[in-house]
Amino acid sequence: MATIDGSSIKKLIVACDAGMGSSVMLASQLKKQLAKSGVTVEHSPVATIPGDADVVVTQAGLADRARGVVPDVPVVPFQLFLGDPAVAKVVKAILDGDTIEV
Amino acid sequence: MSEETTPLTELLAEASIDLDASAASRDEAIRLAGAGLLAVGAIDESYVDAMIDRENSVSTFMGEGVAIPHGTLAAKDSVKSDALSLVRFPAGVDWDGNDVRIAFGIAAKGNGHIALLSQLATVLMDPEKAAALRAAETTEQVYALLESDEDE
Repeated sequence: MATIDGSSIKKLIVACDAGMGSSVMLASQLKKQLAKSGVTVEHSPVATIPGDADVVVTQAGLADRARGVVPDVPVVPFQLFLGDPAVAKVVKAILDGDTIEV
Repeated sequence: MSEETTPLTELLAEASIDLDASAASRDEAIRLAGAGLLAVGAIDESYVDAMIDRENSVSTFMGEGVAIPHGTLAAKDSVKSDALSLVRFPAGVDWDGNDVRIAFGIAAKGNGHIALLSQLATVLMDPEKAAALRAAETTEQVYALLESDEDE
């Protein structure tokens, strides 16, 4: 478990294996949802997640690899690309400045 | 933030669109999506195997009857240019238990495909547009749905 303080997040990374398709689609949605918050949303291959990320969202199957790359950054695994409740929770925490457990 | 944009009809060429296909399995469907990328010279043949490898490790099923098969990071060298293919399966394909009607094959070398994927995400978030995409029978209908409606 990790704690995310929505108000302190500046950079959210969407990670997938190649950074080619899946993460791009989700990142584009999150960019729109978080446009007003000023949070930077980027997509990245899991292997090269930038160290200055504040939170990483990635497919459940890749979560352990993501944690290995950035052990100090909270990783939020999701199952569904579109409309996953875990991702929606992070978005809401950022927009509302809430603290959540992931 | 401006992203490099390639015209939609170049990125998703008519030669890479098959609106009336059938496949008996997920892997056959992925091979058809790969064939659409091969048709425009966007990939080496080995990339198609990487697309299947990737699908075996993590699914590219997106919801709304759409999957976006693409290769692994290790296979990026077999990509020659940014391109997408679209294969529609009117009868559906059993995609690891999900019913897939459209597979978008993706080959990405740079970022030219990002605007299109972004628009695809927008379409899939809108159930009516997603249904229209699944029902598309002409390339004009496909292009109309995927033409970005945002100024970027």
